[in-house]
Amino acid sequence: MFAFLASRPPVPRDLAATLRPVTLATHRRITLEDPWCDLVPGGGLRRGTTIAVQASPGVGGLSLALSLLTGASARGHWAAVVGVDDPGVVAMADLGIDLRRVLFVPRPRGAWAESVADLLDGVDVVVVRPPGRAAVGSARVLMDRVRERGAVLIVVSETTTAWPLPVDLSFVITRSRWTTSSRLDGRTLTVRIEGRAGVRAGEHVVVLPNRRGRAAVV
Amino acid sequence: MERLIGVWVESLRVEALDGSTLRDSLALLDALSVICPFTELVRLGFYALPSRGPSRFFGGEDRVLEVVGATVRDVLGDQPSIGVADGLFCVELAAREGVVLPRDGTNEYRRSRPLAVLGRADLATTGRRLGLITVGDFAELAAARVAERFSASVGQLHRVARGELAELPGQRDARLAGRLRRLREADRPDEQRGFFGQRGAADERAHAAVLRLRRRLGSDAVVVAGVRGGRTPQDRATLVPWGAPAPPVADNAPWPGQLRAPSPATVLAHPVTVELRDETSEIVRVDARGSLNARPSTLGFTSGAARVVVWHAGPWPSVERWWIAPRRRAHVQLLLDTGEAVLVAAERGRWWLVGVYD
Repeated sequence: MFAFLASRPPVPRDLAATLRPVTLATHRRITLEDPWCDLVPGGGLRRGTTIAVQASPGVGGLSLALSLLTGASARGHWAAVVGVDDPGVVAMADLGIDLRRVLFVPRPRGAWAESVADLLDGVDVVVVRPPGRAAVGSARVLMDRVRERGAVLIVVSETTTAWPLPVDLSFVITRSRWTTSSRLDGRTLTVRIEGRAGVRAGEHVVVLPNRRGRAAVV
Repeated sequence: MERLIGVWVESLRVEALDGSTLRDSLALLDALSVICPFTELVRLGFYALPSRGPSRFFGGEDRVLEVVGATVRDVLGDQPSIGVADGLFCVELAAREGVVLPRDGTNEYRRSRPLAVLGRADLATTGRRLGLITVGDFAELAAARVAERFSASVGQLHRVARGELAELPGQRDARLAGRLRRLREADRPDEQRGFFGQRGAADERAHAAVLRLRRRLGSDAVVVAGVRGGRTPQDRATLVPWGAPAPPVADNAPWPGQLRAPSPATVLAHPVTVELRDETSEIVRVDARGSLNARPSTLGFTSGAARVVVWHAGPWPSVERWWIAPRRRAHVQLLLDTGEAVLVAAERGRWWLVGVYD
């Protein structure tokens, strides 16, 4: 009978709240693979958080950020990589990333923040390398968008272009050393993982990439 | 013999590794098919279409040639070489040289060509020793004499030389039609399938985000990647705009001489020149045996900055596609004093920065 009325009775507000889809605690995390699952509290990246990866140029910051995508990619999540002009596609495939679910925006032409905001609606993990130090305003807007959408934002930055706001989890590469034989064999990274409350700061040593191009424990 | 228009496009003749040649060929074939539906892609870089029908439609052969030239320029931005002659064999020669033969001039033109145009170097050599310089000289021989002295395949060529056959055996690329068909099938909308071929909710969301982003930044802003066969990281990576048909993926074939993992996390789409010098500030060279003539000591960039090389590995030389478009390269891994590792390659007498192990 209600179907014939011009205005349908409104749904009570408290009922609407209970009708929201239930998410389990495990769904609120994007699981990480070896070696990060043992080093990061909860074994995964909590949805709605922003993560910073900081390193001097050329010592493995990009590799580290991409290695955080492997778990998400293996579980069928979509990912996006923004502002990385020349991505090493083979290196990503070697890391174990399913390239069929990765979108690249190599040259966002000054609109990197807008691109990230657009992508946060559609994909679960966004890796971004801003061309310079991000403005506080756009950083705040992006972090709010991340929280609202339940996505994960991974910011790759150098020491001079650090993310202007405090982040939920940060990976800082403090030392990087290549082991060699007749070719480049592997890179040992010393990574300091810091976070907000509940995360114990500590330095960890990982191999990234190893002889097979993957991330591994020492 | 049917009068044909031949279109010779030099830039499409050698197939590029990233599949762009085949895509461009298909685009041009579609464009030329609008002029005449019987347009045929004979081989990569050579199209043939009949002259009679389009000439009647456009009001003269000259008009058709103008339209064909304009079409190629629109699609590829290249100036094609266009020829008109009777029969597929002669029209290829005419198109290559860009000549439009008069209606009864094909016979004379064919007979004046050197014997090597028949595509058999051994026949050309033998013919020269026998005093047969041109196709016409060869055609003068009696068919029975040719059959006595040469194999059956040369007998076929003799018939072509006499104008009894319109085309050389093997002039058409038999595999091309199948490849074009497969490319057309791959040209369907692009997206990732979910369970049982359905698109999942996550795929729909990603698709919507891509469409929004393309409106903002342009149609080629969003790129998807794939890995295919090859030796070096830059050859193995394919980056195509979202929605463009991806080149065929054939990753399971063995590639002797492939550079092993780890692979650079940054692979430059357009390598930049660098200068690799030894202790005496001479440019390091790769010799014919594929080894370095001196120990690399510094790596100089075009910006003027230079880094000290603390360790190097390689070179890994490779000679690829020597049968059509030879490419000689040698890759070297360098470890710099800043802790960075880079991949450089020597090609055409210069050093190129290919990737950074970022």
